[in-house]
Amino acid sequence: MATRTDVIGAPLARTGPLERVRSRPAILLVGSVVALFVVLILGVALGSVAVAPADTVAILAHRLLGLDLGMTWTPAAETIVMDLRLPRVLAAMVVGLGLAVAGVTFQGILRNPLADPYVLGTASGAALGAAIAVLIPIRIALLGFGLVQVLAFVGALLAVTAVYRFSRTGTLAPLTSLLLTGYAVGSLLAAGLAMTMYLSGSNLRQIFYYLLGGFEGTSWSQVLLTAPIILLATIAILARARSLNGFLLGEETAAHLGVDVRRERAILLGLASLITAAAVSISGLIGFVGLVVPHVVRLVVGPNARWVLPLSALIGASLLAAADLVARVAGGIPVGVVTAIIGAPFFLVLLRRARTGYEL
Amino acid sequence: MPVAARASRPIATVLFGAAFLLSACTGGSSATPVSIPPDATASAIPPAAGTPKPAIPSQTPVAAATFPLTVTDDEGTAVDLKAAPQKIVSLTPATTEILFAIGAGARTVGKVEDFTPYPPEADGLPVVAKFGSVDVEQIVNLGADLVIAGGNGFNPPEAITQLRKAGIPVVVTYATDVKGVLKDIELVGEAVDEGPAARDLTASMQAGFDQVAAATKGLPTPKTFYELDATKEIYGPAKDSFIAQMIGLAGGTPVTTEDPAVFAIPLEKLVAADPEIIVLGDAAYGTTPAVVAGRAGWDKMTAVKDGAIRPADDTVISRPGPRLVQGLQALAVAIHPELAAMFPQPTPTASPAASGSTAP
Repeated sequence: MATRTDVIGAPLARTGPLERVRSRPAILLVGSVVALFVVLILGVALGSVAVAPADTVAILAHRLLGLDLGMTWTPAAETIVMDLRLPRVLAAMVVGLGLAVAGVTFQGILRNPLADPYVLGTASGAALGAAIAVLIPIRIALLGFGLVQVLAFVGALLAVTAVYRFSRTGTLAPLTSLLLTGYAVGSLLAAGLAMTMYLSGSNLRQIFYYLLGGFEGTSWSQVLLTAPIILLATIAILARARSLNGFLLGEETAAHLGVDVRRERAILLGLASLITAAAVSISGLIGFVGLVVPHVVRLVVGPNARWVLPLSALIGASLLAAADLVARVAGGIPVGVVTAIIGAPFFLVLLRRARTGYEL
Repeated sequence: MPVAARASRPIATVLFGAAFLLSACTGGSSATPVSIPPDATASAIPPAAGTPKPAIPSQTPVAAATFPLTVTDDEGTAVDLKAAPQKIVSLTPATTEILFAIGAGARTVGKVEDFTPYPPEADGLPVVAKFGSVDVEQIVNLGADLVIAGGNGFNPPEAITQLRKAGIPVVVTYATDVKGVLKDIELVGEAVDEGPAARDLTASMQAGFDQVAAATKGLPTPKTFYELDATKEIYGPAKDSFIAQMIGLAGGTPVTTEDPAVFAIPLEKLVAADPEIIVLGDAAYGTTPAVVAGRAGWDKMTAVKDGAIRPADDTVISRPGPRLVQGLQALAVAIHPELAAMFPQPTPTASPAASGSTAP
């Protein structure tokens, strides 16, 4: 027992709890689902106003399940739980899920450990779109979606489309070309953003908050509009886990395995970009989750996308919702700060304990 | 790995720059909703000193408004008020001052964080909002029946939407000029059922403005630069901005950035404009006449040669509240020191409350 070996026959460096989980991703999957529910309940139960846990449960049971637990609560408590906290927690979960899945996809296709959901210009595109929306003096709001959200979504998609089009030069290797084009277009858009901000006058504040990212003021309609996009695209990516595994072995090997490389790459990039655009439209720019969660999962369960995708989705959702909870309780600090403060040390510990030769 | 590129890096640079820009342009008045708005209606008030006489608010005693009442706020939203509000939340420092000045302080249950708090009676109120974030839960829990917020992004629009969805009426105020401040005071007065007190206040403020106008009539109008910040770039009033108007009303000719949307003024432009008076709106942040005189290149300006560099209390000058007369007097004395006998100024160590003998 003491000399168990892993699949490729090398002796394990340690035998701790981490290693036991490593061989059984199913345990981790169950654990992640439990964690997600714990975060959901804590997220709805805690906040700047104390609502008794029993009241919280009673309100949720009454409004979501139609059960009457024979309790009474104030209308304020009901508004706080149902209209302020629940949509916010769900939004953080959906965005965290989306960013993590998009991160896995981009890292896999580009075979780059530093790839994140924003790598192909989505962040700059969304930010510029949002900044322009702030400057347009029309205040339309459709189903809780203001101009800022709409233009952020459109900006992100336009940026990725531009990157994809420009990258098809035919002379460079496709991956190098994509990354470099993404960087170039991203820089150009960032310059446009800086210019817009410089000229934005007293609107600068609003643009700045969008860039910081967060879930303050998330409405039900925003959740209900973006969640289907993110969840459906996630399912579509899950269905293509085999292609993603193929890409990890290199495009040539993938082709030998029967993956239609160009087509699959375009589809996966499109789906991941769609997820990212939907996520940034309601949350602004939140870093770290999409970059680090996929690595954390791979460090624990190995590179198989069939496990990495669902686990990243669940852990991304829990992490971002937990981070948002901390941000809320701590008095409104930016959620991106919290994700980094919680996540970075954890990631460092995992990296130090990683089995030798971790590669994407 | 061919390239380790992250397109989100340009965004980080922009965000970082924005933090500087933000801190710079709000540094002088971080708690004021309307410091430097680009303003289309500014021409309503002549910037030069003349005899600016905005319409004198109606002084005919009107019967107290009857509720239910519908008021139209500065964003054009019709706000329905079922009964005279008993639990009012103020989301701008100016509103807090207005509420206490018109006798609605006892019915105020929450306020925004205020870095230069006034009046002292408001000190004990729970803080339900900070710069750029609103604790909607807390406001719902307080059972607020009226929230008065700041427009143009001072309070996040999402928070205002959430409050309205939760059934709490929100009146948004956004004064772009001095006349707008008087109008806002009357709007707040009407909404909180203190219409007569508000009209008394605006009438006496108008009298105060008229007194300053009379005192500065016939005096020269020196070119005056109002410094908001000069730690890195030099920030001053934008063209037609609130502060530019105030300088005009105080008997000076404002040196502005010459663009309603630009706050920074290059040093060479400032030297070319050659201000005869420099008012230090950033005096509270440690800027002194000696510091200004020691800056490279500044010694070419008439104001520096003449030693006409005068500290000022930015809060009373730029906060669109009841103490605006006091601010205008302070500005008039800074521009025309000979008026000091007519408008005695508090010594720098005295609390703001000790001054304003003619202000209400």
